[in-house]
Amino acid sequence: MPKVRRSRKPPPDGWELIEPTLEELEQKMREAETEPHEGKRKQESLWPIFKIHHQKSRYIYDLFYRRKAISRELYQFCLDEKIADANLIAKWKKTGYENLCCLRCIQTRDTNFATNCICRVPKSKLEEGRIVECVHCGCRGCSG
Amino acid sequence: MAMSKSTNTYNRQNWEDADFPILCQTCLGDNPYIRMTKEKYGKECKICIRPFTVFRWCPGARMRFKKTEICQTCSKLKNVCQTCLLDLEYGLPIQVRDAALKVQDDLPRNEVNKEYYIQNLDSQMSKFDPTQPSNSALKSKGASDLLLRLARTAPYYKRNRPHVCSFWVKGECRRGEECPYRHEKPTDPDDPLADQNIKDRYYGVNDPVAEKLMRRAAAMPALPPPEDRTVTTLYIGNLPENIVEEELRGHFYQYGEIRSLTLVPRAQCAFVQYTTRSAAEHAAEKTFNRLVIAGKRLTIKWGKSQGRQGTNEKSEPPPPLEPVPGLPGTLPPPPAFLHPFPPQMPPPPSRPNDFFNLHYAGGWGAWGAPPPPALHYPSQDPARLGAHAHASQPQT
Repeated sequence: MPKVRRSRKPPPDGWELIEPTLEELEQKMREAETEPHEGKRKQESLWPIFKIHHQKSRYIYDLFYRRKAISRELYQFCLDEKIADANLIAKWKKTGYENLCCLRCIQTRDTNFATNCICRVPKSKLEEGRIVECVHCGCRGCSG
Repeated sequence: MAMSKSTNTYNRQNWEDADFPILCQTCLGDNPYIRMTKEKYGKECKICIRPFTVFRWCPGARMRFKKTEICQTCSKLKNVCQTCLLDLEYGLPIQVRDAALKVQDDLPRNEVNKEYYIQNLDSQMSKFDPTQPSNSALKSKGASDLLLRLARTAPYYKRNRPHVCSFWVKGECRRGEECPYRHEKPTDPDDPLADQNIKDRYYGVNDPVAEKLMRRAAAMPALPPPEDRTVTTLYIGNLPENIVEEELRGHFYQYGEIRSLTLVPRAQCAFVQYTTRSAAEHAAEKTFNRLVIAGKRLTIKWGKSQGRQGTNEKSEPPPPLEPVPGLPGTLPPPPAFLHPFPPQMPPPPSRPNDFFNLHYAGGWGAWGAPPPPALHYPSQDPARLGAHAHASQPQT
């Protein structure tokens, strides 16, 4: 997705500071895409993709909303270039969803009984000391 | 066979639709709150290869999700649960239930034959009351107590456990704690219970679990009748302390006519004698190891041969019998010289007209109760009920 500049305009000012990290995350994503599937379950091969996607968006979100290290213009540029996922960041702004793993896990249309994924259950409500890895993204619990 | 949903609906059985599954309590699990998915035409029935409505639910924490395996028609034919193929009333395999109830159910196994048979039965079944087993062979059978004894008393949830993790068996399970499958040793492949087949289990043929249960049933303690056919007495032991003869009589009269019932309180036992051997055998079969009075299970054994009813019995001498009144006494021997008309007639009986005992010396007190009838024959004895012949020849 990124690497192709859709906007034709040069990136705003703080771009050079964040570019190396973004480049690294890009590289990780490419590796995850080309990994062989041997020894992994069908869903398990997709988990690194979701994880890195979350990491990229998290980086941009943290820089702007938490550390306030980049300008709104640069933040908007990243969203427009689809470096970060705007929908996912929109969820992180809500209470209770601050650490949401991916958007698939709150999609009720994907489940049999129109519920959220098991990873959305807080650990305090999930008895028995049970380890869960959700089937969509391999998350081990994103709200508790 | 039905290829697609609308193929050849004339005089052929269609794909099955259902609203609610036919399941046993064990398959449903311990949690009263269940969420179940319903999928129309989700899978083929394992027996009749017809697409049917599949219901799928979770029977409890750490259980595998169970789903219906056979269609409702097939399950109604044998009155079994749709998932585990065990009887709905007893939870026993089909082969065991059929053997105990002596049900001869000849379901054809060949494809077209089977379809035809099931198709005919299906149309009949839809007219009947859904709460009764629709199989006519099963409807008339009452409760079998052999089956009641063989049946489980508590639900067996080990049936709902997840399957064994085959990766773990090879040593390759990478999921570790999170793995939903069982990390246990798989069952021994040499064990005869290991090769079970759903079709065999359904038709009641060659089912290793059923065979094991029937072997266990045969080994249960039983009371064989003695060879001496004249014995109709049962020994009853382990009686509670305050038992009354009337109470025992109440338990035993249902099997047949009791000739006599003797209670020996100090040995906490009793002897019941029936008039017929079949009644005694029936009683033995029904009460052996089963009859419980006041919390104590009675030991039932056969009594010894006729006349000897144990050393403790108080034996009465047979009551003396009065001679029947009104009969002529024995004739005197004819005189030595054979005169055509012997000169003397035999003396008349003492009270010639007393046929109805009217000259009874004691008299009655102001029309009180009549005297007890005099015993002239043993069968007049009220303690010996029944018009059966003498004890030495009991009827069978």
